Amino acid sequence: MTVPFKLVTPAKLIFEGDAELVIAVTTEGEEGIMPRHAPFLAALKPGVLRANIVENGAARRLELATGEGFMQALPDRVTVLVDEAVTFEDVDVAATRAQLAETTDPAIADFARAKLRLTGHH
Amino acid sequence: MATVKDLRDRIRSLKNTQQITKAMKQVAAAKIRRAEMAQKQARPYADALGEMLQDLIATASHLDHPFLNPGRAGAPSGVLLMTSDKGLAGAFNSNVIRDAERYWRQHGDARFYTVGIKGRNAVRRWGMADRPTWPLNAPSKLQIAHDVAQRVTTDFTAGEIGDITLVSSKHVSMMSQRPEVRRLVPIERESAASEPKGPRGSVEIPPSPEFVLSKLLPKYLEFTIFSAMLETDAAFYAAQLLAMNNATENAGKLIDELTISMNNARQAAITKELLEIVSGAEALTGT
Repeated sequence: MTVPFKLVTPAKLIFEGDAELVIAVTTEGEEGIMPRHAPFLAALKPGVLRANIVENGAARRLELATGEGFMQALPDRVTVLVDEAVTFEDVDVAATRAQLAETTDPAIADFARAKLRLTGHH
Repeated sequence: MATVKDLRDRIRSLKNTQQITKAMKQVAAAKIRRAEMAQKQARPYADALGEMLQDLIATASHLDHPFLNPGRAGAPSGVLLMTSDKGLAGAFNSNVIRDAERYWRQHGDARFYTVGIKGRNAVRRWGMADRPTWPLNAPSKLQIAHDVAQRVTTDFTAGEIGDITLVSSKHVSMMSQRPEVRRLVPIERESAASEPKGPRGSVEIPPSPEFVLSKLLPKYLEFTIFSAMLETDAAFYAAQLLAMNNATENAGKLIDELTISMNNARQAAITKELLEIVSGAEALTGT
């Protein structure tokens, strides 16, 4: 069973399709959303977003480092809005490390940490 | 009357100008496509954000946030003036600046914040040199929007300004850009929460609706500023395209007129010379 799932940033629509499960890091901790979840709305912290999506009948895992945002679950769909979303391939580990060492902004630091976690560097 | 050489020089210089305006026109045409694309790609986010805000306010009408209430009474209006960084786009920037000035005169007192160098220069001309300013074109417009939103929010909550008003350009069509004055804060409950899209029952909002609202409203402001920046960009290139198109056409008309004058002058000179030769020859052969 799947639910229509949409992941958007101000720059573009990252994903629109069907998902079996969406897990995001809310301000209150990780939250997993499955089809027919009760109406739900929460703010997201920078973190790693994971989703089991179904594309052309094949199940696939979607993993992205995401910035601050929001997740809304309705009986008929799940929407995630984030400032930024990058995939594993888009992370420049060295640049992210440098950014993490430099920044004083906690939101930027959290996003940098999420990117490192996505690539398996802690 | 101008000599043939003078006219030829003027025509040459006009042709150079025409080449420049034509090139700028083509550049603007390419850039407007990119700017409109960026605007289009931001739309799904805008829709989703608006919908979340509506749903949240609809589920809990008792919710409160500083952005939903008027600011400190008697505080000056906070005007966010948004222009382009560059000119050569007809009256594009002066129209927006004129509307901002009119708003300011009507309200008596205003604190300006500017995005775009043209707006910054105008505010400086009005004798307010130390107002915060940001460029329109930056590697990350989102970052700029974030910084602007943070600054105006700080001033609003501190009571330095009583509202946040945006003066920017609306990209009506390729042929038309219109200045627009919009109140961003306080947000009207009615406009934020129109009809909810059907019964949704109780919604789980951890840790509390107030908390999520306190995250959503600043993001809403930030994104509204971001999308106004995208719109200003698109409107600017459309205005520039139009201005450069007119300039190219006008240069063409002038070149045509001057070419006729030059031909007339040249013909007059030849006729005069012929007359002199003929009358000279006649004088010699004269009986």
